[in-house]
Amino acid sequence: MFRLQGSKVLAVDMTGDAVKAKNGSMVAYDGRMDFKKLTGGGEGIRGMVTRRITGEQMTLMEVKGHGTCWFADRASEINLVDLRGDKLFVESSNLLATDSGLRTGTSFTGLRGASQGNGLFTTTVEGHGQAAIMSEGPAVVLRVSGQYPLTVDPGAYVAHQGNLRQSFQSGVTFRTFLGEGGGEAFQIRFEGDGIVYVQPSERNSIAGDV
Amino acid sequence: MTTHPGAGPVVHDPTTLPVDDNVNAYTFCVELRGSEWFLQKGKMIAYYGSMDFNGIGHGRLDRLVRTSFHSPLHASDWVVASGTGRMLLADRAFDVNSYDLDKGNLTIRSGNLLAFQPTLALKQSIVPGFLTLIGTGTFVAASNGPVVFMEPPIRVDPQALVGWADCPSPCHHYDHGYMTGVMGGLRALTGLGGASGEEHQFEFVGAGTVLLQSSEALMAEQPAGTVPHQPGVPGGGGAPGHGPGQGGTPRLPGQLGDLQRRFGL
Repeated sequence: MFRLQGSKVLAVDMTGDAVKAKNGSMVAYDGRMDFKKLTGGGEGIRGMVTRRITGEQMTLMEVKGHGTCWFADRASEINLVDLRGDKLFVESSNLLATDSGLRTGTSFTGLRGASQGNGLFTTTVEGHGQAAIMSEGPAVVLRVSGQYPLTVDPGAYVAHQGNLRQSFQSGVTFRTFLGEGGGEAFQIRFEGDGIVYVQPSERNSIAGDV
Repeated sequence: MTTHPGAGPVVHDPTTLPVDDNVNAYTFCVELRGSEWFLQKGKMIAYYGSMDFNGIGHGRLDRLVRTSFHSPLHASDWVVASGTGRMLLADRAFDVNSYDLDKGNLTIRSGNLLAFQPTLALKQSIVPGFLTLIGTGTFVAASNGPVVFMEPPIRVDPQALVGWADCPSPCHHYDHGYMTGVMGGLRALTGLGGASGEEHQFEFVGAGTVLLQSSEALMAEQPAGTVPHQPGVPGGGGAPGHGPGQGGTPRLPGQLGDLQRRFGL
């Protein structure tokens, strides 16, 4: 059972079950816990190879035991996500912990990843259970529906879930090269049904400068 | 805070997002209805609806520059958002707040100003590194920690100063009993003998409001434009009576006085 203690610490109550968490993110525990490094994120040889090839590196550990374990990472804000059979797309650097029953994998994101400097691939989490994602500043959760498509700055994008199509928009014109660009030259547009998590801060990316 | 134990996060859509108000302490929502807003480059994080972001130099927007911008030299750091929809603004997870001016004036550190309505005019302040907004309208500013409003007379730490409204007299103040003489200079320079780090303040008197942030972390300074090289223009470098070599290094706000002079060199 995941719960937030404050907004920057994740407390997980365990009764013999296990969670997967970012390596080294445990800050305290109560009771009896075993920590095991999951080579290749627990995705087997194939997942390991995929992650090595795609550069979407993620070191996870498995925590198992009885009691409460607290996780935190660099005072980032933590957001809880409930998954009911749907798929969560998140940058591996923003994923803090998942129920051990959730499957993690990698997926191709295309140009969005490239424009925010996160590579062309992203991490997926799917199944039934809870996941905790991190953001710089509390994330704003925005609903996308057929009526309301959403456009997001790649540097502020954290994660999304649901049945969303993403397309990449570029506002690069000749003015960008004259130094008179709009400052928002790269944008991702989400259409469909689902929710998007954005953080009130922009990662340094090429998109921030043009 | 958007999440509570037991409850899911608050999911926003265009109908629940606040109009021209904070979504949380770090994110601000602006509604555009065919209207325009000026933004610092790269502070938009997401929007619903259809919007355009154009550099100030865009031909069609020339009129706006003439009415709202009076320092063409730094216009390239600003963009105009136009269209319809709701837009979220944020800056490095700093606190953001909106302020309303009614036929008023407010001077703000250039790095702290995020966005403003075109009904306001943005001008360079005489104080280097600061910008002045004049007129009626709303603007959005960021600060490291919540902003505190103080009434003059007050002396404030240079790093905590965000801006001031209506006060005519910002000036430097030094604790002279502690700072003068060779020993004072040495103390300030080396910290030996106990420099408190608070020997220099900004002083405000008169009627008005002073805006302070609750930390001494400065926001990255945005270029506020240069000033014409003319005699009598502060920072212009053309004033007579300045010694050689002094015009080269601009005096930053918060910088101590020249140590050479303190040592009598």
